[in-house]
Amino acid sequence: MKKTVPQRVFSAVLITLISVSVMFPLAWMAIAGFKGKTEVLRSPFQFFPDMWRWDNYSAILADPQFLRAMGITVVGALIFTALSLTVNTLAAYAFARLEFTGKRFWWVYCLTPMFIPAMAILLTSFMVVSKLGMLDTLAVLIIPGAASSAQMFFIRQFYLGFPMAVEEAALVDGATRWQIFVRVFLPQSAAPFVVMGIAAYLAYWNAYVWPVLTITDPDLTQIMQFLGNFRSDRGNDWGLLMAGSTLASLPTIALLLVFQRFIVNGVRISGIK
Amino acid sequence: MTALDSRVAVPADPAPDGVAPQRRGRRAARRGRDNRTAYLMIAPMVVLLGIFVMWPLVYSVYLSTFKISFYEEPEFVGLDFYQYVLDSPRFWESIWVGLYYAVLTVPTGIVIALLLASFIKTLSRRAAAFMKTTVYLPAVVSTVVASVLFVFMYQDEGVVNWMLGLLNRGPVNWLNDPGYALPAIAVPGIWLSFGITTLILLAGLLDIPENYYESAQLDGAGFFARLFRITIPLLKNVLLYLLVTGFTLAIQLFELPLIMTNGGPVDATTTPNLYIFNSFRDLTPYATSFSLTASLMLFVVLGAISLVIFRLVNSDKAIDG
Amino acid sequence: MRRRGIVLLAIAAVTASTALSACGGGSEDPAGKTTVTFWQQKFEDYQQAWFKKHVDAYNASQDKVKVDLQVVPADTWAQKLKAAQAAGKAPDIATTSYGNVAPGAAQSQFAPLDDLLPAEAFTDIKDNVKGFVTVGGKHYAYPMLVEPSTVLYYRTDLVTAAGLDPTNPPKTWDELLQWATKLTQGKVKGMTIASAGPDLGWSSWGLQYNACGRLPINDDWSKSTATEPCFEKLLDFYKTLYQSGLIPKTPKVGYADGAPYGQGEVAMMAGGSWVIGQLKNDFKAMVPKTAVAAFPSIDGDPAKTTATLGGWTLTVDAKSKGKQQAADFVKYLLAGDPAIMADFFKTSGFSKYTVRTSVDQALAGNPDATSDPFMKVISEKVVPYGKQEPAYPWDISLAFGTAIESAMKGKADVPTSLKTAAAAIDDVIKKQSLAGTAPK
Repeated sequence: MKKTVPQRVFSAVLITLISVSVMFPLAWMAIAGFKGKTEVLRSPFQFFPDMWRWDNYSAILADPQFLRAMGITVVGALIFTALSLTVNTLAAYAFARLEFTGKRFWWVYCLTPMFIPAMAILLTSFMVVSKLGMLDTLAVLIIPGAASSAQMFFIRQFYLGFPMAVEEAALVDGATRWQIFVRVFLPQSAAPFVVMGIAAYLAYWNAYVWPVLTITDPDLTQIMQFLGNFRSDRGNDWGLLMAGSTLASLPTIALLLVFQRFIVNGVRISGIK
Repeated sequence: MTALDSRVAVPADPAPDGVAPQRRGRRAARRGRDNRTAYLMIAPMVVLLGIFVMWPLVYSVYLSTFKISFYEEPEFVGLDFYQYVLDSPRFWESIWVGLYYAVLTVPTGIVIALLLASFIKTLSRRAAAFMKTTVYLPAVVSTVVASVLFVFMYQDEGVVNWMLGLLNRGPVNWLNDPGYALPAIAVPGIWLSFGITTLILLAGLLDIPENYYESAQLDGAGFFARLFRITIPLLKNVLLYLLVTGFTLAIQLFELPLIMTNGGPVDATTTPNLYIFNSFRDLTPYATSFSLTASLMLFVVLGAISLVIFRLVNSDKAIDG
Repeated sequence: MRRRGIVLLAIAAVTASTALSACGGGSEDPAGKTTVTFWQQKFEDYQQAWFKKHVDAYNASQDKVKVDLQVVPADTWAQKLKAAQAAGKAPDIATTSYGNVAPGAAQSQFAPLDDLLPAEAFTDIKDNVKGFVTVGGKHYAYPMLVEPSTVLYYRTDLVTAAGLDPTNPPKTWDELLQWATKLTQGKVKGMTIASAGPDLGWSSWGLQYNACGRLPINDDWSKSTATEPCFEKLLDFYKTLYQSGLIPKTPKVGYADGAPYGQGEVAMMAGGSWVIGQLKNDFKAMVPKTAVAAFPSIDGDPAKTTATLGGWTLTVDAKSKGKQQAADFVKYLLAGDPAIMADFFKTSGFSKYTVRTSVDQALAGNPDATSDPFMKVISEKVVPYGKQEPAYPWDISLAFGTAIESAMKGKADVPTSLKTAAAAIDDVIKKQSLAGTAPK
């Protein structure tokens, strides 16, 4: 699409405005990592530190627990993302495109968990994972949350929008539902997978209460548990918290950079020509 | 495979499914196979939810009829705790706070995201790549860090009041004025979540064939005409998703008010989950049972609201291309 | 296409079996050692270090018992503890606040320690603290320390600059308001004090005692007394501080965190004694410019309570399989060699106070302790008049804290706020059947 000069200027201004408003807090966080323990709290607001100190960053990087927590959390988050996309996409396809006995019942069954506040099943789901012997394993972080109503719902909404004609044609050709799912639907799903995958990844990454409840093994400590160590109602170590948060956000940002390109023009749902 | 097959095929009920559209006569013959495939496909989800969500939920409901004690024989109290929660004015106030917050954030968030997504769609490949990453960056900042940052901006001498000063207004006591506190929390709330909404809408927008817009443009339809005649109807599925999940998440907001206002001033920002969190704090059987029951009641409220949204949007059926 | 189904099911099966087989949380040890789990609620950093040091020392000192120390964040403590109790995995030993001793004992959560610890361990506990851990004549917890919830900190340099006498701190609430007014200059506010309901709920207990000689409930917990006129004076006091702009309107941190004072944003602070530790560790420059006094009393009577004595104990779980081993460790850490606890108080910068006569004696020979100006003031002028934290449900404290906040922020006038609180407290009494259940 050709753009006029005013349009270009407008775009440039808007991009700048949005990125500044988004980057400012990030920059603030990164720079606060160079400040002393409570310098961040100082009034009036001060953007730059009195003195640039590397101690927070170097202390965190030198802490073997930090790198271990990062590593294990990235691994867990990736497995979690893959597992939840698999489980939820399968169900989403069935609910969007197949007719089967008891569909309404299972639809309500699979959607309801979205409305259950975490507190309502906190104690009882802990009892379940404890009975299953899952405490202090990576599995307890990955498996219980893998089936996600919201994610299934989203992908199902996406599949609902696919034209019927494609399927009809394939069915006439004698393809099975599995084949249609694998050959027609999956290749078209890059954009929703990336969007939901990132959301799943971040949900795992930012989880705090569940890991605190289920993980005590220092080898499995999750990154949010690690960062939680700098917090206390009797004085937070803001410098370390900010430096740690900054470093912890890097893998996620890298992931975003890699995967954003799958949300692109040209992912066209075939059939509409 | 036969063993597995017979296992998953058990629920395959030959009884006719009245809900199924009768578009294709051929379908009737295929129903058995659809059943098998469909059950195989939903099985992992159904089983996982069954073990880790539904069973715990049933068990929680059962527990809520007791004064829960982990050390003594729990005392059966029937529906007493439901009565206590229903009687509690603070519980209902917290539900209103949650609803008000949802009304403040969900539509605003969707509108901002839709505008942003439409804008990103017009950009060149490289600029779009930059923006797609950028809009998501706030989600990378943890809620704790974002809360502190916004508490700063809302200080008496903070950035926000400084800007108001330029307009000869203020200063406003943002976080301690009952009228402003919740909207003040809504800003970081939107800021933290608009990234994913934008990407979702972008993915949806990119699915709308360009020729729809081109022909509309030839017909002389303006931006708003195109928005209301093409974009919104075709995004109905996605918008329904955003509304339902948006409301569900917004009403369950917890961390921002906990850190920014501690629920104040005088409960003006005490959301349902914050209220439940505070009632859970005592190590007494009463506190455990009460907060458990309150969270079950919140579940009912959320379910009811979502049902209303489903009915309103009424887009439960596939859009046939 | 069946193959795909098989693959998926195989993946699911493998994942599930890994989950099931990779069992965690064992307490058996090949060498026949008993493992005792000990959950410590996360406090100041130096406390974690102290606990770890002495747990390691204990584990090294013998080969029968291994104490497994786990630090639990305060914000998730209740969730983690209750979840563990529900699953039968409660820790053998846990840190328990004084306020939770009586409610826990009432539901048989703790093992009575009388049979597990020698009698001398209890005779060593100071008389005013003994009651904190005794329910129905039995000891359900071993006390570790006391911390007054409210003392007054002030900046001697700013006080002098404002023409006030730093050696003669305010004695009455009126004088405190005058000081705060004079010290509010430019961006520096006169003082800080709690202003959010949940913070006020506990931090104002001492001042509730100060204003009325009691908490807003009668002695047998059958009726609220929140509408007594003396509580109006308390609400007026907070209201004046807030509405006259003598305290920051938008606090950046909660009451327990002394950072705003440490940063020099306020000239005075109502804070717990633990803030001394924070100042000594994080705001060293502020220490020489700081003086500490008992918080002013409503009418100037220094013998009236101004603070509750909060603090922590160790409790042994009633369902523990190694009660004696757990108690042995509690004895080692809290009731044994006075030098261990003396080390704790020294590490805390003398921001917490002893509960055992023998530890006092051990500290008497320590020049750091005897010369610490803060410690002298607090242990002589605050601790002796300090009262126990209430054992009634938190909802009652929160209702009263909300009343103070409501008056401060102008949601309702003082009498209405108190009426609302009284109704809420009476409702708690009714629903939780509290009448007649007051401990002792």
